[in-house]
Amino acid sequence: MPQETTPQEATPQGPPRQESPGPQAGHLRTVAVVIYATLLLLALAIPQSIVSWIGDMKSIEMQETLLPAAETLQRLSRQIGIDAPYTRARAAFLALTSKEDH
Amino acid sequence: MLFPTIEFAVFFAVVFPVTWFLNGFNTAKKWFLVAASYYFYAFWRAEFTLLLLASSLGNYLAALLIGRLADGYARRAVLWLAVAGNLGLLGYFKYYNFFAASLIDAFAAIGIALEIKFIEVALPIAISFLTFHALSYIIDVYRRVLAPTTSLVDILLYISFFPHLIAGPIVRADKFLAQTKKPCDPSDIKVGQSAFLILGGLFKKVIIANYLSTEFVDNVFRGPADYSSLDLLLGMYGYALQIYCDFSAYTDIAIGVANLLGYEFPQNFNYPYRAISVQDFWRRWHISLSSWLRDYLYIPLGGNRFGEWSTAKNIILTMLLGGLWHGASWNFLIWGLLHGLALVTERFFGVTGGSGAEHAPRSRAATALGWLITLQFVCVTWVFFRSPSIEASIDYFSTLLSGASWSTTLTPLAAGAFVLGALSQIIPPRWFQSLEESYEGASLPIKVLVPFAVIFVIAVAAPTGMAPFIYFQF
Repeated sequence: MPQETTPQEATPQGPPRQESPGPQAGHLRTVAVVIYATLLLLALAIPQSIVSWIGDMKSIEMQETLLPAAETLQRLSRQIGIDAPYTRARAAFLALTSKEDH
Repeated sequence: MLFPTIEFAVFFAVVFPVTWFLNGFNTAKKWFLVAASYYFYAFWRAEFTLLLLASSLGNYLAALLIGRLADGYARRAVLWLAVAGNLGLLGYFKYYNFFAASLIDAFAAIGIALEIKFIEVALPIAISFLTFHALSYIIDVYRRVLAPTTSLVDILLYISFFPHLIAGPIVRADKFLAQTKKPCDPSDIKVGQSAFLILGGLFKKVIIANYLSTEFVDNVFRGPADYSSLDLLLGMYGYALQIYCDFSAYTDIAIGVANLLGYEFPQNFNYPYRAISVQDFWRRWHISLSSWLRDYLYIPLGGNRFGEWSTAKNIILTMLLGGLWHGASWNFLIWGLLHGLALVTERFFGVTGGSGAEHAPRSRAATALGWLITLQFVCVTWVFFRSPSIEASIDYFSTLLSGASWSTTLTPLAAGAFVLGALSQIIPPRWFQSLEESYEGASLPIKVLVPFAVIFVIAVAAPTGMAPFIYFQF
């Protein structure tokens, strides 16, 4: 029967994974940075999408908890002006295609 | 929970670090992934998680029993019970009303009024996919391709793993269970490939498939009689591009997401509209389904081992059932039947289109002709797949062939989506490969800026709202 394998058994040639972060851990760190930095940049560049998403939530408790944080993010984004490119680009796209955001 | 949504981004942002944090504790990681997958599934209908659980437990126990029994009647009986259980569940939820209505119609045609009660129950999402995953496990254990696992969590994870749960790809039990036995290796994450699969998938779904659907294809199929022949012709090709961009987007994202968690899924699409025969098309379209049908249906039926007539019968039966797998309607059966007949015809005329070494070389003209005929055939049969009924399909073709008018209602947005969809089949794969390689070798800021820029552009050009993925209904 297949048995569970310990991390050490799975990588018999290498040092134990948790004790010494080698190239594997470095690779994982890079992937993590790519994911979270991308999400953070998107949250800052398009904060209104998060505000609308929370606004659409069914749970009022969740809305009340999360909305202030999202609105703070939106204010911050506006103050630095990082949300402007999206707002302008979206408006231009909608004008060009004669569409409206519902 | 749809992939291209904020809730999925938040969900994944939690699942990713916890999964890798628990990687050294493989069993705990798998239980966590099971919990995450059930949470993912519960987003649609929480009560159907019980179905998922029951299916997993039933198949786990049946496989253990099959593994303990010696070859013979009892072992075969347990297999058939397990297969019947899986198919019974699928049949009850998906096909009961269809067969009941068909029986009533058939008896009405000979003047007998039959009374059968219809059931009013929602179709559990992904039931066709989870059934095929479960059958793959049970049959492989029966065939001794795979030893039954004593680890319940492995089976729970195999059947419910959220990247493939809703719309595939259909991952073979032996391939997946081999990956669950040990912790994942972070160096197996192909960051370039995963990034391009996810970003490309988002673009194909959110921009190409959505605009084709909402701006043009849905309207044309809703009332074909109100549209010109040109519109119907474009609608047919438009749907071919839409379904490709929609379905391949889902599985591309699934493959990319699974890889970010350290798991490998099989490729599901390979430029299907470049196929130069129908046989070639099925080697490029929904590869995980066509290979499943080949290994678990066509070959057990006898494959090509008992002469030409038997082979033809097996091909047609396989394609009929493959069609029916997509949905409980005569349209899917006709779609499957047409593909089956085309495969038999190709076999009869010795057409063995493909690019592999096993295929005889063809002249450029023969290749071009094969491609042209295959593309027209595939697009024509998509009309049956998309239309709500046989009558609607006939209406579609009769208006199309009437040649009444050649004006078009194609909007610029839909035309743009058309061009982009066509490019997805024209751009050589090596261009994507070199982009992935460049991305792999890029600096960290570039690695961040590329996905940010692509998603930013998608968000700017996205339609308001989102059409559901087509394959969710299957």
